[in-house]
Amino acid sequence: MPGCCSCVSAFKPRWKRLVDNIFPDDPQDGLIKNNMEKLTFYALSSPEKLDRIGDYLAKKLSRDVSRHKFGYVFISMEALDQLLLACHSQSLNLFVESFLKMVQKLLESNEPELQVSGTSSFVKFANIEEDTASYHRRYDFFVSKFSSMCHSSNAGTNTKIKIRLAGLRGLQGVVRKTVSDDLQVNIWEQQHMDKIIPSLLFNMHNEPSSTTSSQQDQQNIQIDEHPSTVAETCLRDLTCRAAFGNIKSVVNPVLNHLDNHNLWVPSKFAVRCFKIIMYSIQAQYSYVAVHMLLNHLDDNTKNSPQMKQSIVEVLGECVTIAADGSIGPSVLEVFNTLLRHLRLSVDTRVSERSALKASIKKRISHFDEQQQTMFEEAIINTMGTFAAILPDYQKIEIMMFIMGKIPLPTRYEHSDATYPMPSVNGEGDLLLQNMLLKSLFEVGTKYTTVSMSTTFSISFLEPLLAISVAPDPGVRLLVQRIFHTLIDRHDNYHKLNVNNLSKDISELELRVEKCSRQDILFMKRYGAQIYWHMYENMNQSDNRLDNYEALYCTLALLCIEFGGDEILMELVRLTLALQELACKTDGKLSPIHQCVIHAVVSSYLNLISQLTAIPAFCQHIHQVIEERKQHAAYLLPEFIFSDTIVDSSYPTTVHVEDNLLFQQSVISEALHSTGHDVSRLAVPYVHRPSGLEYRQQTELDATSLNLEVESVNSSPGGVRKHPEEQITFESLKRALQSPDNEEDLEEQEKEKRQEILETFKSSTLDEIAAISEHRSQKMQIRLNEILDKLSRPRSRSSTPPRSPQLSLSSLPSPPLKSVPLYEMKFPELLVF
Amino acid sequence: MEDYKYLFKVVLIGNAGVGKTCLVRRFTQGLFPPGQGATIGVDFMIKTVQIGDDKVKLQIWDTAGQERFRSITQSYYRSADALVVVYDVTSFESFRCLPDWIKEIEQYASNKAITVLVGNKTDLIEDREVSLDNGTNFASTHEMRFLETSAKEADNVDKLFLDIAEELTKRVQVHEVEDSKDEIAICSQNHTVSATYNCCRW
Ligand SMILES: Nc1nc2c(ncn2[C@@H]2O[C@H](COP(=O)(O)OP(=O)(O)O)[C@@H](O)[C@H]2O)c(=O)[nH]1
Ligand SMILES: [Mg+2]
Repeated sequence: MPGCCSCVSAFKPRWKRLVDNIFPDDPQDGLIKNNMEKLTFYALSSPEKLDRIGDYLAKKLSRDVSRHKFGYVFISMEALDQLLLACHSQSLNLFVESFLKMVQKLLESNEPELQVSGTSSFVKFANIEEDTASYHRRYDFFVSKFSSMCHSSNAGTNTKIKIRLAGLRGLQGVVRKTVSDDLQVNIWEQQHMDKIIPSLLFNMHNEPSSTTSSQQDQQNIQIDEHPSTVAETCLRDLTCRAAFGNIKSVVNPVLNHLDNHNLWVPSKFAVRCFKIIMYSIQAQYSYVAVHMLLNHLDDNTKNSPQMKQSIVEVLGECVTIAADGSIGPSVLEVFNTLLRHLRLSVDTRVSERSALKASIKKRISHFDEQQQTMFEEAIINTMGTFAAILPDYQKIEIMMFIMGKIPLPTRYEHSDATYPMPSVNGEGDLLLQNMLLKSLFEVGTKYTTVSMSTTFSISFLEPLLAISVAPDPGVRLLVQRIFHTLIDRHDNYHKLNVNNLSKDISELELRVEKCSRQDILFMKRYGAQIYWHMYENMNQSDNRLDNYEALYCTLALLCIEFGGDEILMELVRLTLALQELACKTDGKLSPIHQCVIHAVVSSYLNLISQLTAIPAFCQHIHQVIEERKQHAAYLLPEFIFSDTIVDSSYPTTVHVEDNLLFQQSVISEALHSTGHDVSRLAVPYVHRPSGLEYRQQTELDATSLNLEVESVNSSPGGVRKHPEEQITFESLKRALQSPDNEEDLEEQEKEKRQEILETFKSSTLDEIAAISEHRSQKMQIRLNEILDKLSRPRSRSSTPPRSPQLSLSSLPSPPLKSVPLYEMKFPELLVF
Repeated sequence: MEDYKYLFKVVLIGNAGVGKTCLVRRFTQGLFPPGQGATIGVDFMIKTVQIGDDKVKLQIWDTAGQERFRSITQSYYRSADALVVVYDVTSFESFRCLPDWIKEIEQYASNKAITVLVGNKTDLIEDREVSLDNGTNFASTHEMRFLETSAKEADNVDKLFLDIAEELTKRVQVHEVEDSKDEIAICSQNHTVSATYNCCRW
């Protein structure tokens, strides 16, 4: 061909000759460098000829492709690349058209070599910044073809990887070329992203296989990068360029791909994808991705717990990466969604269990409760992760929000056998309580209390206390754990151990700080309520050992955090009352429980005495402990809480001699001698089952006058309560005045007073009487409405009222591992 | 410089294993490939044919039938000028799934695209599970063209693609005539998909 060209060259235009001259006789020799330089120089000096040069080269190449003269094809491509690079400052528009036609030509070929070569030319082009935008240029074909190449299934492993790599680089090129330029084709359109994203992910989850043969293959062809790595880079490129409106275009195809290819379980790959996204997404948009995951969780409500667990795990990872950027404007919405799924999962478990019991379903094998449980744990963990990034005030809000979802217990003084409760409901509530309390705990661990009154607002403390005496020991334990994490401001919790009668507690290195006036006020206000619940807790006949351990810790933390004068007295008073309780012979508590309470009391007084550092106090405590060691080891924690219980030296009855008891008079004297006001100690703590004592003692604050606690203990009807439905004095008042906007209240009150005054001034007695009668009628109607509301069972999901106190034997295995008391070996005691 | 006058995009869909890849290979390369693996994602082939006086280039996108590639394959429907839905006459199951594929087309493809139903593997006379009538009826209810083929025996394969090329060419030419009547340039955006591609090939 070149020979033939030379004979007519005289008639050809100069640029045509220059082009022809770059081709050698034998394509093996490659591009003729000198002549290429001449061509380049010419193109630079006569840029107006560039278009025609491009067009001419393209035609030559096209012909060479169809004639399979690949040597010449490569030479044309090389020439084009060089011209493109050399002339990029010129206006390239038409030349680029020719160039891209040639690239397309190569990509259309079935020859892998040509496809790869075409791609690399395209990539070079993509890296050039053009001065003038080209509105009409479209990349549909390139996106389609490169995506297809990403999925190459070429029989040769080497070739396959080469083509896939080329496809990925090509896509990367298209993205770079188009993404920054609004005038160009909108790469974010679904039709493009639905090709690009799956192509990237497909290569990412096709990691280098570990078989030796393919490793050899890879060594043979010296792949500098693996498709998986290139794909990942490209995904980062794409994500970091996505503006707000484009996040969805990226994330949706990712979610779809994970769905389609069943890549959620195990979560490893999904986590990897979202980590890439979260690390490269512009920080201010990261919440969009988080919300899309939440929506995806909703969309998959009916899917397997494993799949949902993975989504929730991915969420957790995202939150960790995006930190405070991941929540966005609607914090409660996030928690609401997660809590809803928790609830749904619990419901599923319960209904599957009951189906199993009723053996309606014979083929129950597909239901795996453990997987459901793992899903719930994942939700709880992720809620914890979310909570960790919230500011403290929002953590409190969240804790209250969760609290509001917990079904509150109702105590049954006398269980009514004629009122059978479906056990499913009870079981469901119990499970839900458990899971929600765990969530609350998880959030609580992320929160650091500064002031007690901020942490424990009345609307949080009251329901928490109410549930602290729930019928289920596991639930009670969880509540104590929540108290621990919220009360313990000085990291003392892990140093506390009921089984420690050390004479020198300084070795515990407890951090004690004088508590603030605010805290003292808090305890003055709510202390009675707290002590009442501590006592009630100790008094539970189905307590397990871990319940007592936890109760000890709560008491200890109260002492450490509030150990000021007055509160110290109250705690000592409570402790002595507990000792009383342990001595009672009404048979309500088993001898074992009595022993355990004695042990807790000894441990607690040991701690208190040493914290006060009053020698006489310490000495008395020490003396009693020594006495017990001699004669009644079973009253000491060492015996009760030790891992190896020796079943010897049990008494047949628990009758504790005075010398084995801590004496109020001695303690009182010791405290008095060091200037403490011990008058309170002289008034014995009387525990009224209804909790009336603390009612009387609590400064009656009208706004907190809460009917809730009384009704808990006195209404056998079993009204299921939710805190937001509590009827308080305030809400009664508010309900009576129709408008319930608080801000308006004062205003209205003023107006009303004015009005009344006016009425009295200007009306006759009869008129006033008529008005007031009318008003009282209205009031009566309102009142009836309210009472009506109260008496109706307040079950949200039209579930019947919850079951009476669950007996221990009917419970599922306790959620927290511990030796239940009733399983412990106290043979002789039990005979008693 | 172009070596063709019109460019059309043809997308093949249908259950895995019905012979889509074999049909494309038969048409573009004139061979019946021995045991190649299932298509992954989307494959691409090109063939230029002569329709009357004009050269027509067909871009053929051969899709994977498996469910898991559905979202990427769907993204190729949108720009298709013709969709070929293939079933296997020896597999009633592949015929039974046709309504799903029709739904996909309705959802993702342009309503201007032409659709063709193809029953493949007619050479396996013994194993036939779907009668010619079944196919004809289905096609007419859904207003599709219909053809039975054998990629193995090269039966009706060329005809399948040539008919598509001819039909599409005719359509463009009708538009061109209308356009010249209206003295509107071919390139003016609003015409058939194919007309647009003809001037903006990228
Ligand atoms: N007998 C026969 N077998 C065919 C025919 N077309 C395809 N096959 C076989 O059917 C199988 C699947 O073909 P393939 O083209 O990969 O199907 P695709 O998944 O639709 O692309 C392969 O084993 C082919 O050999 C045909 O016309 N006749
Ligand atoms: Mg195939």
